[in-house]
Amino acid sequence: MSAVWRAARAAVRRRRLQTLVIGVTVLLSTATLVVALGLLAVSSGPFDQAFSRQSGAHVTAAFDAGKVTDAQLARTAHSAGVEAFAGPFGQAVLNVPATADIVRAGNRITVVGRADPAGPVDRLNLWAGHWATRPGQIVLEAPPLAGNSSVGAKIAISSGPTLTVVGMASSITRTADAWVAPSQIAALHPTGTQMDYRFTSAATSAEIRTDLAPVTDGLPRGALLNSTSYLSVKDRVDSGPGTLVPFLLVFGVLGLTVAIVIIINVVSGAVVAGFRHIGVLKAMGFTPNQVVAVYLLMVCVPAILGCVVGTALGDLLAKPLLKKAFESFISAGVILPARVSPWVDAACLLGVPVLAGLAALVPALRAHRVSAVEAISAGSRQQAGRGLRVQRRLSGTRLPRSVSLGLGLPFARPARSALTMVTVVLGVASVTFAIGVSASLTRLQNDDPGHNSAGIQAVLLAGGRTGPETGRAATKLGDAGTQARLRSLPGAVNVTAETHAALAIAGSARRIDTVFYRGSTSNFGFKVVDGRWYRGPGEIVLSSGQLYQSGLAVGDGLTLALGGRQTHLTIVGEVLAGPGDSFADWTTLERLSPRAAARSYDVQLAPGTDANAYLAKALAADPGLSRGQPPSASTTALVIISFSSLITLMLGAVSVLGVVNTVVLNTRERRRDLGMLKSIGMTPRQVTAMVVTSMAALGAIGGVLGVPLGVAAHRLIIPITGRAARFDLPGSIIDVWSTPMLGLLALAGVVIAALGALVPAGAAARLTIAEVLHSE
Amino acid sequence: MTSEDDTEQDNGTRQVVVRLDGVRKEFGDTTALDGVSLEIRAGEAVAVMGPSGCGKSTLLNMVAGLDRPTAGSVVVHGEDLGALRETGLALFRRHHIGMIFQFFNLLDDLPALDNVALAAQLTGTPARHARKRALELLDELGIADRRNTYPAALSGGERQRVAVARALMNRPALLLADEPTGALDSRSGEQVMDLLLDLNQIGQTLLMVTHDPRLATRCATRLVEVTDGRIARQSSLERTA
Repeated sequence: MSAVWRAARAAVRRRRLQTLVIGVTVLLSTATLVVALGLLAVSSGPFDQAFSRQSGAHVTAAFDAGKVTDAQLARTAHSAGVEAFAGPFGQAVLNVPATADIVRAGNRITVVGRADPAGPVDRLNLWAGHWATRPGQIVLEAPPLAGNSSVGAKIAISSGPTLTVVGMASSITRTADAWVAPSQIAALHPTGTQMDYRFTSAATSAEIRTDLAPVTDGLPRGALLNSTSYLSVKDRVDSGPGTLVPFLLVFGVLGLTVAIVIIINVVSGAVVAGFRHIGVLKAMGFTPNQVVAVYLLMVCVPAILGCVVGTALGDLLAKPLLKKAFESFISAGVILPARVSPWVDAACLLGVPVLAGLAALVPALRAHRVSAVEAISAGSRQQAGRGLRVQRRLSGTRLPRSVSLGLGLPFARPARSALTMVTVVLGVASVTFAIGVSASLTRLQNDDPGHNSAGIQAVLLAGGRTGPETGRAATKLGDAGTQARLRSLPGAVNVTAETHAALAIAGSARRIDTVFYRGSTSNFGFKVVDGRWYRGPGEIVLSSGQLYQSGLAVGDGLTLALGGRQTHLTIVGEVLAGPGDSFADWTTLERLSPRAAARSYDVQLAPGTDANAYLAKALAADPGLSRGQPPSASTTALVIISFSSLITLMLGAVSVLGVVNTVVLNTRERRRDLGMLKSIGMTPRQVTAMVVTSMAALGAIGGVLGVPLGVAAHRLIIPITGRAARFDLPGSIIDVWSTPMLGLLALAGVVIAALGALVPAGAAARLTIAEVLHSE
Repeated sequence: MTSEDDTEQDNGTRQVVVRLDGVRKEFGDTTALDGVSLEIRAGEAVAVMGPSGCGKSTLLNMVAGLDRPTAGSVVVHGEDLGALRETGLALFRRHHIGMIFQFFNLLDDLPALDNVALAAQLTGTPARHARKRALELLDELGIADRRNTYPAALSGGERQRVAVARALMNRPALLLADEPTGALDSRSGEQVMDLLLDLNQIGQTLLMVTHDPRLATRCATRLVEVTDGRIARQSSLERTA
């Protein structure tokens, strides 16, 4: 074994560049794979695990306490399909001041009376303080994160008692915003009763609907106020990482394929170039298996090193990405590992070198078969050329001879050229895919008015605490007066007042964040996917995400509440916007909060108007106004764009390395030819041109093949990502390609090939002729 | 057969094609050439002989512009090669030098005709014209019928003839030959010798490096003997039949 090891070590030393190419290729590919698999592993596990650990409720149902008794509800537990239940618990919706002490609840919270945090269903994670056991105590729902604890804080209930926060707990399906002792809930005038159910089969929405039917069968009509399925919660928390996983998987697969192709190419090249070496080894007494072992070791040593460093790099890259991707998990109280799962690291550390070894095995077996004499003579004999017909034809063309010779070179080693072309194809596909992704996301942001900076050139904030809750304006001229004043300033084309409110769905703990506009929104660029934009009071437009989460559809009715008032709305449209957004007219808001004032004013300016000058005039006109931040890009989109750019650069670099490897092999094999060509007067520039042309031709073909592959991946992945992010993407988001753009992308293959060929071509141009021509 | 130190008598009036003046070449601690001075005039056929490692191939490389001297000057066809950069040297070789190697150095991917035409095509000569001239040369060298044969299928002698044709393609001022018969059987070697002799007789200046005394006496008009990087002796030769 030591002889094999020594021979392999010597081979590694002798082929430093190839060793480096294998090492770096495996490193970059492994890093990409670790990130992709790491994200996939984390995204597919935590919710289910936490849900099972906390015995989460498949359905949380709120019943009208006036229509159904606790005894009736207790009997529902014996309905067909019910596996376990918790309740009945008294439920009250309370108004509380929006202070920092209540971390998540806001100023309208659903409080449930529970005797303890345990139980057969919805076992709460009491992560700070203790449970509320007597009146005057309250436990708040919040994810177990540092700085989230409000234990000791006092909460004054509007027209009610003041409660002390004695504990912090998290519920996997967030069945309530807070809990109190059963003896306390009666004093809070509960209007509903909560029941938490687990069913024997609840994998799909259809199964849950079927499960719920016998539960409500014997109850009075209208007794069920609302029910929340765990699937919508699961779906919401899964949607964060769901957007990133498809991208990363594509890049991971591309990276690994490129690595395998390059390893096969490198080892094949090493076997062909090392025929004499193989012959010498065999002549010395190495068995065929030992020769194979030498070649496998030669590949596995740099592959293992590259894999180890690549895994570490992948772990490092994955950290910020996991944090960003799983924001929704953390906010749902699911505790996530801070790093890539150890099995992913183990699988990559073990799998990638094995894969590299397997890739090396096929060409290494060639070294096994060849006899010593054959190997030694093959290493020195004059070989018949390949691709002769092509060379012949090219020599007769009008092209400069260095170019025509270069074009013919790939035909001399068709297998190697094919592998190199595959490398280029995958590199171009990566670039195309990444550019498509960036273009789609950019277009998506431009279509999302929340991020559209084109429609709104200036934003002015109304000072102080304003909005529907307080019902007052802090501006000097009042709300409507400020809007009129801003509109009268020179340069203003349109001024739209805007405010936000979290509206409660009647009888539910759930809320819908709604944006209300007063004024024209026609230039905001809203992309209506289904139905139409609202036309007046009583109409609301929901984002695709909101519709998906709530299980509603365009045409459905919805009763929303704010500050004790309710209004019935019809969903008239589905709009492309952030998953949590919905939109309605100011007149709708006036039904819920007649004195509501705008929080901000979105100003569209006439072309050529200086936004800063306008803002200065506006601020001077009313000191109650302040300058607002212009709309900014979505951080998830930025993460995807920057990450795909980074991986594209990595895969591009790997493709370039693949080309470098091929050119090095080609020029080493053709040292004698190069020397001869230089001896008969080929200039260094012509040598460089010839070598670069040989790869540029492959690059051009690779570009032409790689672009459709990248476009296909983009067309496949973007809709999947859209569905994962709960967006119904219109065709304009997917059709981002134009002919000039595709033409330029096809040139990326030439660029990759030329970049890869340039350095070894330069080395070939500097070749010392005397050395190569006199040795044989 | 030989007469010593009379090299300038016959050729004194002819143009100097090669002038080496105090040429020294070192490879690390090894001195390959040590103060070599030599003149070759137009129409001469000079054979350089000496034991292995004496520096004769290095001398040939200096004249071809394939290598640069550590000291001294090399002037070929009026061009000081030391003053030329890599591209300049390539252009110089292209137009003024033809080279023949022991192992032929033909491109395996091209048939004989295209191997020969290649030298002209590098100068920008259109493929059609280059092939026409290449065919003429192959015809003159007696292997026109092998024009479409690839090097791997040619005999050693045929390959060397193709190499000679390629070397002559751009009508060089100087034909350099490095062991041109070294890899050939005796019959093929004889053919190549005849060829070189014929070329010289029609005015081609020739500089050969060889171990083969038969080649020197058959083809050369002057013998330069090199030992330990120095010219040990120069003598005129009378060609044998």
